[in-house]
Amino acid sequence: MIQVENLHKTFKARTGLVRAVDGVSFEAPDGRITGLLGPNGAGKTTTLRMLYTLMRPEQGRVLVDGHDVVSDAGRVRRSLGVLPDARGVYKRLTARENIAYFGRLHGLDEATVEQRTAQLVEALQMEDFIDRQTEGFSQGQRTKTAIARALVHDPSNVILDEPTNGLDVMTTRGLREFLKTLKAQGRCVILSSHIMQEVGLLCDHIVIIAKGKVMAQGSAEQLRRTSGEDNLEDAFVRLIGSDEGLAA
Amino acid sequence: MKTVWTVMRKELLDFFRDRRTMMLGLLMAPLLFPALILGMGAMAESRARTQLESTLEVPVSGAERAPNLVAYLETRNIEVIDPPEDPHTAIREQRYDVILDIPVDYPESWRQSRPALVEVLYDSSRQDSRIPVRRVESALRAYSRQVSAMRLVVRGVDPALGQAVVSGRRDLSTPEARRGMALSFLPYLLILSAFLGGAYLVIDITAGERERQSLEPLLATPSAREAIMSGKIAAACVFGMLSLLLILLSFKLSFQFAGSGPFRGVDVSFAAMAKLLAILAPMVLIGTTLLTLISASVKSVKEAQSYMSVLMLLPIIPTVILLISPVKNQLWMFAVPFLAQNQAILMVLRAETVEPLEWLVYLGAGLGLGLLLWLVAARLYHREKLAISG
Repeated sequence: MIQVENLHKTFKARTGLVRAVDGVSFEAPDGRITGLLGPNGAGKTTTLRMLYTLMRPEQGRVLVDGHDVVSDAGRVRRSLGVLPDARGVYKRLTARENIAYFGRLHGLDEATVEQRTAQLVEALQMEDFIDRQTEGFSQGQRTKTAIARALVHDPSNVILDEPTNGLDVMTTRGLREFLKTLKAQGRCVILSSHIMQEVGLLCDHIVIIAKGKVMAQGSAEQLRRTSGEDNLEDAFVRLIGSDEGLAA
Repeated sequence: MKTVWTVMRKELLDFFRDRRTMMLGLLMAPLLFPALILGMGAMAESRARTQLESTLEVPVSGAERAPNLVAYLETRNIEVIDPPEDPHTAIREQRYDVILDIPVDYPESWRQSRPALVEVLYDSSRQDSRIPVRRVESALRAYSRQVSAMRLVVRGVDPALGQAVVSGRRDLSTPEARRGMALSFLPYLLILSAFLGGAYLVIDITAGERERQSLEPLLATPSAREAIMSGKIAAACVFGMLSLLLILLSFKLSFQFAGSGPFRGVDVSFAAMAKLLAILAPMVLIGTTLLTLISASVKSVKEAQSYMSVLMLLPIIPTVILLISPVKNQLWMFAVPFLAQNQAILMVLRAETVEPLEWLVYLGAGLGLGLLLWLVAARLYHREKLAISG
């Protein structure tokens, strides 16, 4: 369970201060998939980075299972699985070594690492490439490796930044099923995306973000109703008030 | 502690998988340095030998005024040749190393048994004219002594009366120390290898990892950032020490096989090598932590690398200062980075004993500085910007 209250974050740019995140609040309960939907540059990644403790909110706070991400960062990190925007897989290590490295950094013993890896390899269908060095991996293989790495310590909360970015249709479908099993296991799943269909298909709760602000939130059905549009894409355009940065 | 070990193992595995970079990093210096040193040594020696032992051709202007002197020079393996038209220009244009000028009044002074002037023309700013000039001057001095002794004998005076004091020289330097002089550039090579030997590895595992954006997931794990950083530093130190070990072994082998030359008999026992390794260990730590600090504070690998040219000059500074104003070994020197290494390495190569107190100051100062840099680097590792790139 992740609670986000009134987050603010600004960056210094040459042109002056940029309000990347400007008062974002939402709640992501366990056993649900919460989606942050917004155009490129809306502040999704910055928001997620504050959730997974790499950035300090200037205002507001984030509670992960009731623990504050700033004052209790170590504890929060233990209960979080993170897939960052850049996957950051080590290319000279095999997929298995990549996963094991993070398992050890989470303090798991070798037997647990092995057992968890075996489970994830099966769930993510990584049998073909698990013992290959990741140099030359396809985007899908890299993403799967990074997801397995993020979940090796069996976290109750999972944060995924654009998980289906750059994946082909089949891999995307497989990944969606996997995310649904995470939800079925009772985990809190938060993902970001700029693709309507994806969020519409997968998420129980959708938070629409544009220019650092929450424009609307609710289920796909609720969003369609508030905007008075039948189709989610139109609803989205209406809610953010422009069609910049959209990709179908 | 477990994290440090985990990170170190991973970084080393990652590095050793990159075969070509590893080979270059580990083997280049051990192969290149001995070749460089032995080659230079052999060249210097053969040059000195040819200059000392070969027949020296010296143009003498006015040779006809001093036939006796010319005959004497020939016995000293100096061949008198015809002078150029303008001796001064000839020297300036470096056509000759040294030219003797016998003035017009030489025969007159000679006959009257007065000191007769002979001028040695040379260019003191030219390194390679040093030996020829010395040879000519020593021949002139010997000739002068011989002739004056004969003049005294002819007049019935004991030539020994002309000498009130005889100065004798006794060189008390140990043979090892004399050879050590030829090695004054060796500390620089060793210090530089220790200081920057693992540089690209260090830059790669902090600035490079940040640029490849794999630092973000790494820092999102519950492992302490100090521990992650220490693991990286430890990996670079292991690599640095390994490459130093190979360099020292290559020195040992090449000095042993060198046989003759200025490097014969340099102390290359295993004990001396172990001492050198102990001396260089703090340098490896200082270099690694300093580069980690730099890598953590810059935006890109490129920016980190641009510090390298300045860093490469650092180890030269004490050597240059000592060259300009040589000072005796003093205890405080063992606390100054680079200078301390320089002094300690020379002492070991000259087979002198480094006192326990000196060791204490040396290791204390070196490891202390390493710790200080570690603390600053650890602070930088906590910056928000470090984890986020792009």
